[in-house]
Amino acid sequence: MSRLALAVSRGIARVTESALGPYQTAVIRIGFAATWLLFLLREIPHRHELYGPDGPWSWDLAEQLIGANGAFSALMWSDGQLWFETVYALGVLTSLLLMLGWRTRTMSVLFMVGVLSLQNRSVFMGDGGDNVLHLMCIYLVFTRCGQVWSLDARRARRASEARARGERVTDRTGPALWGVLGLALLAVTALGRLDGDWPVPALLWGVWVAQALWWLAGRLTRTGQPRILLDLIANILHNGALLVIMAEACLIYATAGWYKIQGSRWQDGTAVYYPLHLDSFSPWPALADLLSASGTMVMLITYGTVIVQVAFPFTLFNRRVKNALLAVMITEHAVIAVVLGLPFFSLAMIAADAVFLPTSFLRRLGDWAARARGRLFRRGRPKVPAQRTPDATERTGDAEQTHVGFRA
Amino acid sequence: MDAQGANDTDDRGASAPHARDQQGAPHGVSEPPPGPRTGVAALSPRYQVGVALALAVVAVAVCVHIGMVFLHVAPSNTVTKQHGKAIDEWIYPEFEQNWKLFAPNPLQQNISVQVRAQIRTGDGSSRTTGWYDLSARDGEAIDGNLLPSHTQQNELRRAWDFFTATHDGSNRPSGLRGALSETYLRRIVVLRLDRADASGPGGVVERVQVRSRTTNVRPPEWSEERISLKPVYRVLPWWSVPGDEAEGGVR
Repeated sequence: MSRLALAVSRGIARVTESALGPYQTAVIRIGFAATWLLFLLREIPHRHELYGPDGPWSWDLAEQLIGANGAFSALMWSDGQLWFETVYALGVLTSLLLMLGWRTRTMSVLFMVGVLSLQNRSVFMGDGGDNVLHLMCIYLVFTRCGQVWSLDARRARRASEARARGERVTDRTGPALWGVLGLALLAVTALGRLDGDWPVPALLWGVWVAQALWWLAGRLTRTGQPRILLDLIANILHNGALLVIMAEACLIYATAGWYKIQGSRWQDGTAVYYPLHLDSFSPWPALADLLSASGTMVMLITYGTVIVQVAFPFTLFNRRVKNALLAVMITEHAVIAVVLGLPFFSLAMIAADAVFLPTSFLRRLGDWAARARGRLFRRGRPKVPAQRTPDATERTGDAEQTHVGFRA
Repeated sequence: MDAQGANDTDDRGASAPHARDQQGAPHGVSEPPPGPRTGVAALSPRYQVGVALALAVVAVAVCVHIGMVFLHVAPSNTVTKQHGKAIDEWIYPEFEQNWKLFAPNPLQQNISVQVRAQIRTGDGSSRTTGWYDLSARDGEAIDGNLLPSHTQQNELRRAWDFFTATHDGSNRPSGLRGALSETYLRRIVVLRLDRADASGPGGVVERVQVRSRTTNVRPPEWSEERISLKPVYRVLPWWSVPGDEAEGGVR
């Protein structure tokens, strides 16, 4: 009995005292933000047709549908051309900043606003990839996804170094950003534009209030207790959201797999042949013919796909099998990106898969990226003197080098 | 199993100790622990109640959310039949999802959406164009394309799905969504006709007619299956195009 109590208290300590999976949450932050950023850039020539007020799914049509379902879209606040261009441009900007981890929490909220605004504006333009992003951009808001590989991490490190030297560090950007966004939120609310379904507006206000509390608790209180309380609550929320993200990924695979089992084509081993021969999903007909030349091959891929999708959630209990399956799934999605012409769907799925990658692998990836960037950067300008590191015996970590690249 | 289990959690949370130093700098290993302010133990009982409360609320919310999403994606069952309304209220509009990707069976037919138009020409007479195969044009745009656009891959395909889902066999619309889907499809085909310059100089598109052409995908060579490859048409009635729509819209 006491052992159970001990385990419970250890578990509680674990989920309250740290925001778990800093590398995993950072990699999905970068992954989802990059997917949406690349999508927006790719669709710039088609942006009016997809989401513009005069597109085929016109503003009036969207208003009738959203009037019925209450979905959130900032694009419904005005049918003006200028407003549309502004929202699109802000969508690009906030994806970029979220990817870089600048003011991560605020950017995650604005990223969510951007994704929901465009997708809910034209729901019939999306596919599975959009669906993944739609869910994940909401979950990301609750995570502390800027702990590593972010400009925030760099700023925090510099601030603590400066404080160690006895300097005073004051952050003016944060309060300014908070003030501006608060005014915007107030204006939008006062104009009655947040009258749809309540959860998204509540989330916007909630984060805004929470940031004020966080700042006040750091500033005004003498004991430090309120700040610790808020820190622990933020950890709890982060860990809860991380669990939801993982569960969501598992549900995606489980649903995709278990429904396939019921299909006659997945049973007779020919299913993979068909999407390869649909006009919408065959950018490389010759490649599709090559892939489907052998019936045995098609059957192996067909059965393999179902087995991997159904099995994946269960393999989470075994690290080694999980990692093997993860590699298979990431490869399969990379192939789908090209063969079925679904690059953004595949990118979003790979980003979701990445939440299960092992920390050791992610750190190696980070080191490797930092080295590559360092090498690239050194070529451009004379070698800078060695950085001052707090501990010379430490190997130069990824975060230390990251900022060399981000300065570019 | 136990050891592996431990490994696995380790795998996801390995940096827990780092995360404690706020900024999350991953390599601050040699730094001294940041003073007395760590964790629940550092809090007075009053604040500990706050932590416990937050933990309880988040735990419940996470469980309910995962449960709701599970029920939303699960096949219709006893629970969803009894509590469908509560589940829908939780899920819609922002957590809607559909992961039946190519399942239970992948689509085995190519559905082409085609359109023809009745044009009033500059001299006041009227003519009817031939059929434009819009899906085939999308297909061509996708061929050899590493980055197909949603306008080429999803727009027409999903608009047609939306139309068929909100209309009965005799093309009668059901409810608001049916009406919306008609306008949407009409606007798409008018836009495409305009891009193809179907009306010619001085001409105006007065009416459009849409049809779908469904062809079975030829069974694999190594299969002994025999199915008809003859296309099946579904022809919709003529729709008039409002004047401003024929002019406006995205170019």
